[in-house]
Amino acid sequence: MANTPVYLDHAATTPVREEVFEAMKPFYGPRFGNPSSTHRWGRDARAALDEARERVGRCLGARPDEICFTSGGTEADNLAILGAWRALKAKGRKAVVTTPIEHKAILGAVHQAAHEGAEERFLVMTADGVPDSASLDLLVDDDVAVCSMMWVNNEIGTIQPVPELAAKAKARGALVHTDAVQAFGKVPIDAQKQQFDFLTISGHKFGAPKGIGALFIRRGVHVEPLMHGGTQDRGRRPGTENVAAAVGLARAAELTLAECEAHCARIQKLRNRLETGILAKVPDAVIHGRGAPRAPHITNVSVPGTDSESLLMALDLRGIAASGGSACQSGSIEPSHVLSAIGVRPDLASAAVRMSLGVLSTDQCIDRVIEVFPALVAKARQLATAH
Amino acid sequence: MTKERVLVAMSGGVDSSVAAALLVEQGYDVVGATMKLFCHGEDVPDRPCCSLDSVNDARRVCEQLGIPHYVLNLESRFGHDVVDNFVDEYSRGRTPIPCVRCNTFTKFRDFLKKADAIDAQWIATGHYARVVTGELRRGVDENKDQTYFLWGIDRSVLSRMILPVGDLDKARTRARAHAMGLEVIAEKPESQEICFVPDGDYTRILEQRLPPDAPSLARGPIITSSGVVVGEHNGFARYTIGQRRGVPGGFGSPMYVIAIRPQQRAVVIGTRDELLGNGLIAGEVNWLTDPARLGDRVSVRVRHRAPLARAEVVRLDGDELEIALDEPISAITPGQSVVLYDGQRVLGGGFIESARQHRNSLPVLAA
Repeated sequence: MANTPVYLDHAATTPVREEVFEAMKPFYGPRFGNPSSTHRWGRDARAALDEARERVGRCLGARPDEICFTSGGTEADNLAILGAWRALKAKGRKAVVTTPIEHKAILGAVHQAAHEGAEERFLVMTADGVPDSASLDLLVDDDVAVCSMMWVNNEIGTIQPVPELAAKAKARGALVHTDAVQAFGKVPIDAQKQQFDFLTISGHKFGAPKGIGALFIRRGVHVEPLMHGGTQDRGRRPGTENVAAAVGLARAAELTLAECEAHCARIQKLRNRLETGILAKVPDAVIHGRGAPRAPHITNVSVPGTDSESLLMALDLRGIAASGGSACQSGSIEPSHVLSAIGVRPDLASAAVRMSLGVLSTDQCIDRVIEVFPALVAKARQLATAH
Repeated sequence: MTKERVLVAMSGGVDSSVAAALLVEQGYDVVGATMKLFCHGEDVPDRPCCSLDSVNDARRVCEQLGIPHYVLNLESRFGHDVVDNFVDEYSRGRTPIPCVRCNTFTKFRDFLKKADAIDAQWIATGHYARVVTGELRRGVDENKDQTYFLWGIDRSVLSRMILPVGDLDKARTRARAHAMGLEVIAEKPESQEICFVPDGDYTRILEQRLPPDAPSLARGPIITSSGVVVGEHNGFARYTIGQRRGVPGGFGSPMYVIAIRPQQRAVVIGTRDELLGNGLIAGEVNWLTDPARLGDRVSVRVRHRAPLARAEVVRLDGDELEIALDEPISAITPGQSVVLYDGQRVLGGGFIESARQHRNSLPVLAA
């Protein structure tokens, strides 16, 4: 019996929206110019790029010059952390502060800064997955170059109180970065009202293609570029701009915000039904971060006595796509650093299955998961007792 | 028609790749998986994390065969069951054989559980061995036969095992790989000796994992069988029975390591004759058929690729076994395996505890 495959991994990536694809097409055809050229083809591409920058800026409450297009979230995160640290280290700000539940793009960049002489400091997390405010007071001192906190956690969906944390860190003179890759379209973002200096978004999480993202860089904040060789984007990001993808990003961002309220309400309802359905059949399932404010699209569930590797494989072979913690470069699933950092028991952490909803999620998808997941869990537990 | 599902352990090498391809050809519902067993991290620059190249090759083969491929992280169990034991054995003056424990615990126990989890009735590997009517038999290619490493698996697993290349010789396996278009792996060289020893130097693993003052890596005497000190070594774990390298000369005839005595940190050397054993005692014995009985005539192998030797079972005591050999064998080594055969059939095996200089005969039973 063939069941329609169920995609529950929108936090990993999403399909490119038809409208976005259409908006991009001319730039793979007649409007192919290089925006740095001075002739009409160049001017035409430049116009599209300028417009895309303005539109992305409007989506974030930012001015066009505050938007720097990047190859995606990872590059934007690296540019913020390393660019800020390298620009500030000569001024005696030697520390970089972050949380232990960040995406590897942040943790890796902070580690690189440490390799270059920075002092890395990690905020202590509460069991709800938010930084402990005492630890923030302690660690964010006036020697901090940059402090980075993700807005919505990609594994458990918890929402960090970024505006409050940013205000505190700003008061100590630190630059503040937030990785908003999972937050865009899910929580209100407004650079005019909120005090972050850098903010990362990634296009393929909301209907734009892979390979495009943006870093908001507040006017007046200097970053050292990661790459060298051209004057594009004020020298912050040398290299011929990916015009088509920038246009796609702008279109996807606008559509996402326009539909935000209805979309979030819809997937939150589905997510809640999914969680209730699983808990009804598996009462001892643990849903991580459930006590904290959460974005509507992510649920992360651990069932005692199971392991995520086997469950994910079994789900996939039944046509259901979910994910575990972070995958290492071989593709093997590693225990989640996020769950460890918020104090989840190792056996539960190694059982975690993340399901993330989005544009492809329907009532039928949820019905199917509520039917299949508890059955697989029951089987896994039965095998565990048998062995 | 519902096809039976089989989970294939794929290393990225030619044998397991052809195994998977043959099963696809035979109409099974094939799922490929590569076990991540260890991680060198940044220690070994030319072999990035988790034998990445092997995983990539296995994945490419699966993509070509149109079957799903997963990476299974069995690192911590493998570390416990295989690598820790490997280190422990050397520090007890023995010469371990990690592939046996990997098959027993990792491939044919932990991996089997993954098969259970995905409703796979079968598991398959690229071993050169055969399962015929519920019994394990040597592979058709006597040069490649791997039953020496398979004696320890649980007997009940045999009924769920498929070993598709056991009927082929290596040349035919490579030919099948070419014929099926698996050029990625068809001419890959034979795999290295011990997968988790990156450069063939096992002492590096010991040095990494044992404390700096570990007795097995500390200096000790080299003595003759009569107890005369004739030299010094820098750690008995660096020696194995039958070894000549690092053994002092000037004795008229070549000298070999004939024993290791961890309590005295001593490496004992002797002549070729002193290396001979007429019997052996084995522990952790496992049977893949009904257990042998006292007096049974069997063929045995005491190291990989060694010729088969005729022998008799002279003592059975729980999971311990004593064998008397018809002709003496050189360098019977504690920690290695003894595997018992009846013709092509594998009866079972055990880990060698000690060699017997003198041939024991069957106890004379009263009455």
